[in-house]
Amino acid sequence: MTRWLVLLAILLVGMVMASLALGDIALSWRDLWETLVGSQDVSPQNAVIVFDLRLPRVLLAVLVGAALATAGTITLAVMRNPLAEPGVLGINSGAAAAVVAVIVLMRDPPVLLLPAAGFLGASAMAAAVFLLSWRAGTSSLRIILIGIGLGSLASAATTFLSAFGEIGNVQRAMIWLAGSVYDADISKVRFLFLWLIIPLALAWMASRELDLIRFGDDAARSFGQPVDRIRGLMIVLCTLICGAAVAAAGLIGFVGLVAPHVASRLVGPSHARILPVAVLCGAILVVAADLVGRLIIAPIQLPAGIVTGLIGAPFFASLLWKRRHVRG
Amino acid sequence: MNRRAGMDIARHRGRVAHDGSRLLGLFLLLCLLVAAASWSVAMGATRIPLPTIWAAVVDLDGSREHLLVMTIRLPRVLAAVLAGSALAVSGAIMQAVTNNPLASPGLLGINAGAAFAVVLVMTLFGAGVGDIYMWFAFAGAGAAALLVYAMGSFGPAGHSTIGLVIAGAVVATFLTALTSAVLIFDQNTLDAVRLWTAGSVSGRTMAQNAGVAPYIVAGLAVGLLLGRHLVTLSLGAEAARSLGQNPAVWRAISIGVVILLAGSAVSLAGPIGFVGLVVPHIARLTIGVDYRWIVPFSAVGGALLVVVADLAGRMIFGSQDFPVGVTTALIGAPFFLWLARSRAGSAT
Repeated sequence: MTRWLVLLAILLVGMVMASLALGDIALSWRDLWETLVGSQDVSPQNAVIVFDLRLPRVLLAVLVGAALATAGTITLAVMRNPLAEPGVLGINSGAAAAVVAVIVLMRDPPVLLLPAAGFLGASAMAAAVFLLSWRAGTSSLRIILIGIGLGSLASAATTFLSAFGEIGNVQRAMIWLAGSVYDADISKVRFLFLWLIIPLALAWMASRELDLIRFGDDAARSFGQPVDRIRGLMIVLCTLICGAAVAAAGLIGFVGLVAPHVASRLVGPSHARILPVAVLCGAILVVAADLVGRLIIAPIQLPAGIVTGLIGAPFFASLLWKRRHVRG
Repeated sequence: MNRRAGMDIARHRGRVAHDGSRLLGLFLLLCLLVAAASWSVAMGATRIPLPTIWAAVVDLDGSREHLLVMTIRLPRVLAAVLAGSALAVSGAIMQAVTNNPLASPGLLGINAGAAFAVVLVMTLFGAGVGDIYMWFAFAGAGAAALLVYAMGSFGPAGHSTIGLVIAGAVVATFLTALTSAVLIFDQNTLDAVRLWTAGSVSGRTMAQNAGVAPYIVAGLAVGLLLGRHLVTLSLGAEAARSLGQNPAVWRAISIGVVILLAGSAVSLAGPIGFVGLVVPHIARLTIGVDYRWIVPFSAVGGALLVVVADLAGRMIFGSQDFPVGVTTALIGAPFFLWLARSRAGSAT
């Protein structure tokens, strides 16, 4: 595991450095280094590019990737379904409906309203899914089914708004839905970091509970786990983490689904090992996606969420192909 | 466990009676479908009495009302019936094959493939080519599904369900990303395609129905015959093998049927996600886990849902173009939520 952690950490640092150096104005490694350490003879232009433009964006990508991966790992364990990602709880469809409604129905929505609406939509939806599936306790299957039902209602609302809304607004909504880290600034990064740090730590501390709950309700109960309470807490954690990531960056799909799968293939079934590896994988995926999206058809920028699908999916497929003889 | 034991007992007590009530239920549902379909043909800006509809079908005399029935109303209702039953049955088969409640035809990449093909054609050749979209949608759906199936078959021990599920997620994600990459830069295509992606049966013609009907009818027939094998498949590959079934063969046949059904439905009515995902669940929650019954109930129930949803879109929202994909969810989801809440057990 240490080997993988070190390897992935080096990869992540490399990706971050590349993201800081590359772009419309490429910096040499030497310039980048001098800017970062703050040496005397650095041009103010470079400092602005690195610290004001690129660094917030890269940090936001790291945070969002880490958050999505953690939330995905939690959902995968709690739902015991290989297809489960935080979207199963209605987080994505709720956030999408709220944000599309704001964009399409409101004239000139204030900047801060979009993330707020995204987070509120996501958490309202997750709460509704959990409460509706509560009947003297919950079950993973019931949560999944209720999530499908409520999720399809929210998607119907999104579909309706995008079918009849003004086309320019609909297109803006689609860009938000695609998920990107375009409009990052350092205060957003700081806020997201402070918001995420406690839930992420809690998730890691709860890794033993995740190990247990994955075996099934009865098995977990026989080990003395209060299953319903743990499941509820995990869903709250997942909503806090994923809802914030979605509010900050839109719907970056695939990361929450793939990072935990990759991590468990690399380091085995224990969540104390899966979580840190998944966090690194998620961060690498989003940072790389943003970098590729900036460079591939520059000066036009592709949203990171689209690139995760375009490069993440084939990469994951090749991983499956290479390891097809390994039972995992 | 309790539920399963209870079912065994129920089976011992009176299987004939149980099947009899299911048959009655199916018959009633079918009557409901016929009633809803006739009502849907009758209602609209001009109300058409039932005898006139019947006369138009058996003996077209070229009057305005007859033409209205035969060229506008009936094709629309037929499209709803075909698409609804095909989507629901293919969803039921997918859930049996993967043994996963989150599975739907969309998991094979069918919706994503069809949408990508349509968007690609519109971007390259401009909007408004008419019927040709249908065949591109069909081709896109089929190609994506075959790709998923091929990728999914490379898992451990040949054909693993997990492999199929993950391959489906991968391909669907990739194609969806490509589609949105095109749409966020091309406003004209977005404008042209957004009603199609919402799912609609408005303006469908008899020729379009006739184009896909053979595939759907054949798919439905095979799907109905598959029932027993689907029960076995849904128990998992090992159990299926020990019962003497070759799961790889039957899985391949089932996937073939899904491609035929869902591909036709999507090309006819657009990517409606809800029906294929939820109608099989409704059937399972109502009549139990026996796929010999889930398949026919899904076929009739899916058709009924889409016909009623289309009717509701026209009646309540007063618009010919109200996307049926939205109304199916509005009508079906509350019912489904109630069922899931009251019936879905604490097992699993």
